[in-house]
Amino acid sequence: MTRSRTALEIKGRMLSITRVRVLDADTAAIRAHLEQLAKQMPQAVKGMAVVIDSEFDADLPALLEAMRGVGMQPLAVSDGPLAASAKGLGLAVVSKDSGKTGNAAPEPAKTPPPQVASAAAASQRRPARIIAEPVRSGQQIYAEHGDLVLLNTVSPGAEVIADGCVHVYGKLAGRAIAGARGDETARIFCRKMEAELVAIAGIYAVSEQMKDSPRGAAAMAYLEQGRLRIEPHKI
Amino acid sequence: MAKIIVVTSGKGGVGKTTTSASFATGLAMRGHKTAVIDFDVGLRNLDLIMGVERRVVFDFVNVINGEATLKQALIKDKHLDKLHILAASQTRDKDALTTEGVEKVLNDLAQDFDFIVCDSPAGIERGAFLAMYFADEALVVTNPEVSSVRDSDRVLGILSSKARLAEKGETKVKEHLVLTRYNPARVAKGEMLSLEDVKEILAIPLLGVVPESSSVLTCSNSGVPVIREEGSDAGLAYQDLVARFLGDEVPHRFITEQKKGLFSKLFGAT
Repeated sequence: MTRSRTALEIKGRMLSITRVRVLDADTAAIRAHLEQLAKQMPQAVKGMAVVIDSEFDADLPALLEAMRGVGMQPLAVSDGPLAASAKGLGLAVVSKDSGKTGNAAPEPAKTPPPQVASAAAASQRRPARIIAEPVRSGQQIYAEHGDLVLLNTVSPGAEVIADGCVHVYGKLAGRAIAGARGDETARIFCRKMEAELVAIAGIYAVSEQMKDSPRGAAAMAYLEQGRLRIEPHKI
Repeated sequence: MAKIIVVTSGKGGVGKTTTSASFATGLAMRGHKTAVIDFDVGLRNLDLIMGVERRVVFDFVNVINGEATLKQALIKDKHLDKLHILAASQTRDKDALTTEGVEKVLNDLAQDFDFIVCDSPAGIERGAFLAMYFADEALVVTNPEVSSVRDSDRVLGILSSKARLAEKGETKVKEHLVLTRYNPARVAKGEMLSLEDVKEILAIPLLGVVPESSSVLTCSNSGVPVIREEGSDAGLAYQDLVARFLGDEVPHRFITEQKKGLFSKLFGAT
């Protein structure tokens, strides 16, 4: 048996990491919020890789305990008031992101070429899951690590979930959840929007909250600055 | 080999047993040897609607448990010698039904019969599941009303994913829509979902529309399947439905509001 010459193999890899911003110093309130989140989306929260971002010096040990308690995996903190205590606790400190969330185009200067990044992301992604049959009330379809394409209708009471985008070529009358593992760039597209609920990366709206959005028409749902927007899909 | 047809809906009270009784009777009237089985163990109704409740000695559960033979339990219809009824047990519950037991009864029946009609209980639990599990075709009975349509949609989802044919992955259960209690006048007033609405939501081929009719209730109470009632709209609709199932081209009727004639406009009661 031949031994490989190097001890390590180093490869680039894209990971989907969720940024959690701390808005309130009250640990009890944070814990309550996390528990509610875990109840709503147990699949997404379990094992979720998290970077903690705070403008003030929050009680980091308590925060970590609360997050780990619901199954999240805090990996790092954003550079800022938490950096000092993070180092003491063995967490990484990552640079603050530029403030541009979502699909900001990479600057050509010093950032890695976009092809490399997308190739690494593609190796994580699985091919789209394509469903030709109607998705009926009570059925649940999940596309793990990829997009979900539904060629037929999604009935009221049905649930379609993807870690990537959700595309519905028929009527969407059930629930659609995109970015189930926290991908904020995921979107939901449909030819006829009559959804009971749409959610992207955990931000959701039920139909009652969609009164001002297009109903019965082609529409697209996406996140903009952390807010869910549902707009007519125009070409 | 017999063809197994389940009559199902999800929701209760939409007309499953009425449809099972008339559909099975209609197949027998057309000369096909037909057995109809009541899967609603614990709440047996089919024998009442078929008018054989006084002749039930052994039932479906007795056959499954080996306490009676199929021959002893099958009740022959008084009018149609090609029609047989297998009643449900009133004293047991759905746990008495086993997958193997049901399969054996269906296999035994399949030797002698052309069609086996399974009258499903409401719900999606054990009794309903076993009624649809072995089906080749399904009549999905729906009322023009949102909760009924929603439940039918749920049942269609189970048929397409959990029925035996779907599990084997070769073919799928052939689905037929049966819209019952349809009242075109109330549809026109916007009080009921229209045929088009229901077809759009469920997206399966329409087998028949049965109009809302007082004769359905009177027939049930007197133990006569409504298809045997001369001159009843609902009875005619079931005759059409059976003919279509057997491959005849029959246009749909009772789907538009009937215009009152001049005479009834002038003198008719309002």
